[in-house]
Amino acid sequence: MSSIAERIAASGTSNAIELRGVTRYFGALAALTDITMSVRPGERRAVLGSNGAGKTTLLNCITGDFFPTFGTVRFFGEDVTTLPPHERIRRGLRRTYQISLLFSRLSVRDNVYLACRGVSRGRFSFIRTRARDAIMQSVEELIALVHLESVADRLVEELAHGQQRQLEIALALAGAPRFILFDEPAAGLSPAERRDLVAILTALPSHIGYIIIEHDMDVALRVVESVTMMHNGRIFKEGAPHEIQADPEVQELFLGSGHA
Amino acid sequence: MALEQTIETDSLTLPQAQQAGAVSRWVHRNAAILILAVLLLILPAVAGPFILDQIVGWTMILGMIALSLMFLCGYGGMVSLAQMTVAGVSGYMIAVFGPSSLPSISLFWPWWVAAPVAILIAVAFGTVVGALSARTEGIYTIMITLALATAFFYLTLQNWPIFNGFNGFTTIPAPHFLGVNWRAPIPFYYMVLFFAALSYAAVLYISRAPFGLALQGVRDNPRRMEAIGYNVTAHRVAAYAFAALIAAVGGILLVWQNNQISPYSVGVNAVINILVIAVVGGITHPIGAFIGAFIYVILHTFALDALVAVGLDGRRFQLLIGLGFVIIVLFSPDGIVGIWRRLRARARTSGGGNPL
Amino acid sequence: MLPAFDSSNFRRNDGGSSVSTSLSGYGGRPSEGRASEARGDVLGQWIARHPVAALVIAVAVILVLWLVLAPWPPGVEEAIGKKRLFVNALFNGITLGGLYFLVATGFTLIFGLMRNVNLAHGSLYLFGGYMGYEATQWTGSWLFSYVIAFVCCAIVGMAMQFFIFRRMEGQDLRQTLVTLGLSIIFSDLMVWVWGGNAIQIDTPDYLQGPVPTPIIASIRSSGEMVFLRYPLVRLVIFAAAVVIGIGMWLALHRTRVGVMIRAGVDDRDMLSVLGYRVQLLFVLVFAFGAGLAGMAGVVGGTFQSISLGEDSHFLLASLVVVIVGGMGSIPGAALGALIIGLSEQLGIVYFQNYSTVLSFLIMAIVLVVRPQGLLGRR
Repeated sequence: MSSIAERIAASGTSNAIELRGVTRYFGALAALTDITMSVRPGERRAVLGSNGAGKTTLLNCITGDFFPTFGTVRFFGEDVTTLPPHERIRRGLRRTYQISLLFSRLSVRDNVYLACRGVSRGRFSFIRTRARDAIMQSVEELIALVHLESVADRLVEELAHGQQRQLEIALALAGAPRFILFDEPAAGLSPAERRDLVAILTALPSHIGYIIIEHDMDVALRVVESVTMMHNGRIFKEGAPHEIQADPEVQELFLGSGHA
Repeated sequence: MALEQTIETDSLTLPQAQQAGAVSRWVHRNAAILILAVLLLILPAVAGPFILDQIVGWTMILGMIALSLMFLCGYGGMVSLAQMTVAGVSGYMIAVFGPSSLPSISLFWPWWVAAPVAILIAVAFGTVVGALSARTEGIYTIMITLALATAFFYLTLQNWPIFNGFNGFTTIPAPHFLGVNWRAPIPFYYMVLFFAALSYAAVLYISRAPFGLALQGVRDNPRRMEAIGYNVTAHRVAAYAFAALIAAVGGILLVWQNNQISPYSVGVNAVINILVIAVVGGITHPIGAFIGAFIYVILHTFALDALVAVGLDGRRFQLLIGLGFVIIVLFSPDGIVGIWRRLRARARTSGGGNPL
Repeated sequence: MLPAFDSSNFRRNDGGSSVSTSLSGYGGRPSEGRASEARGDVLGQWIARHPVAALVIAVAVILVLWLVLAPWPPGVEEAIGKKRLFVNALFNGITLGGLYFLVATGFTLIFGLMRNVNLAHGSLYLFGGYMGYEATQWTGSWLFSYVIAFVCCAIVGMAMQFFIFRRMEGQDLRQTLVTLGLSIIFSDLMVWVWGGNAIQIDTPDYLQGPVPTPIIASIRSSGEMVFLRYPLVRLVIFAAAVVIGIGMWLALHRTRVGVMIRAGVDDRDMLSVLGYRVQLLFVLVFAFGAGLAGMAGVVGGTFQSISLGEDSHFLLASLVVVIVGGMGSIPGAALGALIIGLSEQLGIVYFQNYSTVLSFLIMAIVLVVRPQGLLGRR
């Protein structure tokens, strides 16, 4: 844990995520237009907006799933605009996906193991990992954190939807994350599972910041301290949760139109 | 039993509970493969040179080349049709660097220099194939590797200074050392058995090592692998390099066994046969490569007589192979290994004796 | 994804109608105007974006024109051999490109619409050649043999799509493996029926022999100009390939079915809109692609010969052409066919021992620089 503290100290006053003029075209279609926003280390923010507002595209530009057409992305002060995704992940960025992207023909434990191995050394090792190695300890801890102990040896394709969503989160918590992007983590979860999710999110160590995209306002506004509203690929409003909820323009555009 | 290792977690399960009966459990679970190993070891005591060389020996060599494809395809999701070509490169190189009947081309280096150099060149070739196709997926990989494999075939056919055109090379002797003639049937058999067993065990072991697990992650979901810190392209290229190593060793053994190599050893038919072997055997477990090779060798050796016996033209062997392949792909995409797994699952549930 | 792909961000500007229809769903974007502008002057935009490449291509075109049209000064002849040899190779390359285009265009169309890599495409080519040969033997009409070859191969193609691939929709890898198995079966059946000997389809009398072209092959010491003579049948077939290519382009851009096919190639979700008719469309396209391969077989049988092994040769040619030109793109198939035809024929003249390697070198370079192919989209 000390290494994390060191890295945070080293990155000084810079923001965890800093976007400047990020624009992304798909052909002639602008999915993101001139997005400038910054998120402090440890800050927890929701990005809200209707379908097609560009929220997932925004996350994809931050993680490098694809690059912005214009603009720069900084992660803890470092310009990562053109780094491939795996390089950003190794620097402490994590994300979950709206549609679970898991390794369906591997067991739950192998999935979590791969995530832990991906941010440590020995990714290319030909030597099997023994059960008493330190990395297995963290694998078991992560499985316990998302309550999947009972299915740890099952193949992912056999899991229920809710369990897959929990595994999705476990993969994003592997190693020493500094900042996490959650893309609709509550999608398709039962009310009980949503309570578990809120508990997991609020229990994260306070130095880990995150951006969460969520349609369920009940989940989103309980786990964040600031909100960015997006509309048509642009930032529309920023503020604290209560300000956003009270804003008449926002109410007219979103909260009143069934997206709440 | 042995066939289920890819599913059952092995070394990653909780330690304490397993330690106790670990040895006996391991023996129990691997009973089939252990029996097979013992049979193969004592086979020379009962079988003649024909069985040793033309049936079992050939099976194991083809099995190794198919195993390299199984590794790429089953664990990495990359269907490379260039694995026979990699084997062909090392086969040609052993003929170029070692002795052959063509002193104008062959350099007559001793085997302990020629063989490593040949393997090195073949691995480099396999890695280049990987680098060219690693950024593509699925059917694109098939197209590119098939094109590269055919390119090599035409190169050997047209090129005389290095590959001696359509004549190729003959009289490529296996070495003598430690006082043994390694081309004599029994020593050659044991040499082939050694390398086949070694590559089988290596693939099985690596499938549960970080490299192999990550490869399976790449197969299931390359995008997510990027998003948990892996360089997917590098992983794929490394897998091609490792598979090329197995294929290259198989290629040298094949040349020593046949005592010749020519463009048709790396032609489109030979290339496709390796895919047929791997798919018919089943690409979900390393043993499938050897099962497929065994079926192919048996068909190849006896189909002519069998076809004539039922009143058909003996030359319709390829037709038989093609039909068998299409039937397997249509009805059991995971090959013989898949049929075996399903039969076992059915026996378990209907027998009721020991459900899991 | 990878840095190399980043230059593709803007490439879809010239996507024309499909882009602007999807735009309307997003309610009046500032970029809407750009899409329509882009249609106007695609070439000009391309030159503006890639000035160096445009310059290189322009210089190459001028150089080739000069090499073809001007009589060669003695220095050039000493350096690279006789002009007759070069121009002949060039013509052979272009006409071979026409043949490759006929084969590859069906392959790329089937791939683009159905994501089916038809590895039995070479077998269809060979089958068409044999059927065309039989037809000329029976009827004596060379032109009629094209109809026979087209119809026979189209029927086989329809059967393949209807009985096999329809049941495996979306499983592209399995489909490809099945086509591979079918190619083994087809090739053995054809050996069974026609044996291993090469068969040549006779050129009809009215296309026999070479014709003079307005290109100067050499200048005699007397000052008399010798004009290049070239086989008429190859010129006619090349012209036919161009006509077929333009016809296909028009059919794809000007007819309802063509628009459906293009929409399906661009965006596979669009196909679901068609409902049950999508199967009809698939069968038709498969039949058409297979029929083109069959016609190409007759061309190949007239140009060269039809024999065992030609199936893998032309499958390979289609693969390389489509990889170089761009998978699923018909203009790409034309460009790729021209490049590969030229590289093979010029290779035979200038690099005997490595001539086929030249084509593969081109393929490898394209894969490294532009993995989606020269005119392909990603």
